[in-house]
Amino acid sequence: MSAPRRRSRALQPAPADAAEEQPVELAVIARQAGVRVSVVRHYVAFGLFERCSGSNEVPLFEPSCAGRLAKAERLRRDLGLNYAGAVLACELVDRIRELEQQRGQDLPTA
Amino acid sequence: MALEYKDYYEVLGVARDASKEEIRRAYRKLAREYHPDLNQDSDAEERFKEVGEAYEVLSDPSKRERYDRLGSQWRAREQTSAGASFEDFFDRQGFDDHVRVEFGDGVFSEFFERLFGEDAARAGSGPLRGRDREAVLELSLEDAVAGGRRRLSLEDGRILEVNIPAGVREGQRIRLPGKGGAGRDGGAPGDHYLQIRLKPDPRFRRRGDDLDVDLAVAPWEAALGATVSVPTLTGTARVRVPPGSSSGRRLRLRGRGLPKQAGGHGDLHAIVRIMVPKHVSEQDRRLFEKLADESDFDPRQGQG
Repeated sequence: MSAPRRRSRALQPAPADAAEEQPVELAVIARQAGVRVSVVRHYVAFGLFERCSGSNEVPLFEPSCAGRLAKAERLRRDLGLNYAGAVLACELVDRIRELEQQRGQDLPTA
Repeated sequence: MALEYKDYYEVLGVARDASKEEIRRAYRKLAREYHPDLNQDSDAEERFKEVGEAYEVLSDPSKRERYDRLGSQWRAREQTSAGASFEDFFDRQGFDDHVRVEFGDGVFSEFFERLFGEDAARAGSGPLRGRDREAVLELSLEDAVAGGRRRLSLEDGRILEVNIPAGVREGQRIRLPGKGGAGRDGGAPGDHYLQIRLKPDPRFRRRGDDLDVDLAVAPWEAALGATVSVPTLTGTARVRVPPGSSSGRRLRLRGRGLPKQAGGHGDLHAIVRIMVPKHVSEQDRRLFEKLADESDFDPRQGQG
């Protein structure tokens, strides 16, 4: 199965800050999350997120991956998890949030 | 806020003579339970910090010894003299050898920093970006189509002015960079996402990107045809009701629906609803009776 190329609807850019929503290189994601590139590569290998465009040589990622990366890293450090465990925890949390939303247990309202 | 004694053993739920291993086990369990990335409760973050602070002290033998000494003296003092505040007691114990000018909203409590100094926390593993937060922003259909500036108050009480782009869609997320949780050890703050939810509208029913709206017409308008006004999300439009339109006929107003993901807009369907007067005037009654007598129209023809 190939990685989805289409930019996901959820991350559709708001016109106001379209410039900063462009896909970025891994090093940018790493810097924004405050995580070393070598650490990010572990997470990519475990499938925490996938490239959205670019080539295999120069993969590009959604800027929002930085948030996901920082979350996995916080979980890994705080709970003593390994990479696989942190990725699994992120995926399970996403799944729980989805189910909660389907059941109408909604996010806080801004 | 007055300085208060913190019972770190109580925070972790362990006995005062708990072993290092018991303390670590209790900490790990509570950290999993209250980790703000896992637990959405509003007090989870506060509990998680408290648990981390308790573990920071109790897992370090020299900090634990210093803390225990303070604790036993405080408890002895409490039993003999009622009324003395912990703050007074603390200042007289000579623990206050670390001077702080100002207490910020750091990771650890004032109690911890007074006891150990503000730099006493073990160095973390480097700066890390803060948590992304997410909230739902409910918009009326009109506001979603028109966009504009909105003032929002977030869960944590902050007020933000946000630019909502015109044409946002149900489920779309708007990113507010740097408006999420604070970073750790000098890390950047996370982002705040607003997930758009469209409020149900009393007039317009949503079917994907298309909208349905009821179009009330008089029997003679439906029979003879007419041009009538119809509400749309951007004001009133005129729609031509062709002669011979029965209830349920859909009249399409192209591009007057909701914004589409691929660009452009869905359609607005005005659905004909033939209305009759609830109280028929004398004159109307005569006219309807005349029509009933003379018309050979049978709406139920072919229905068996």
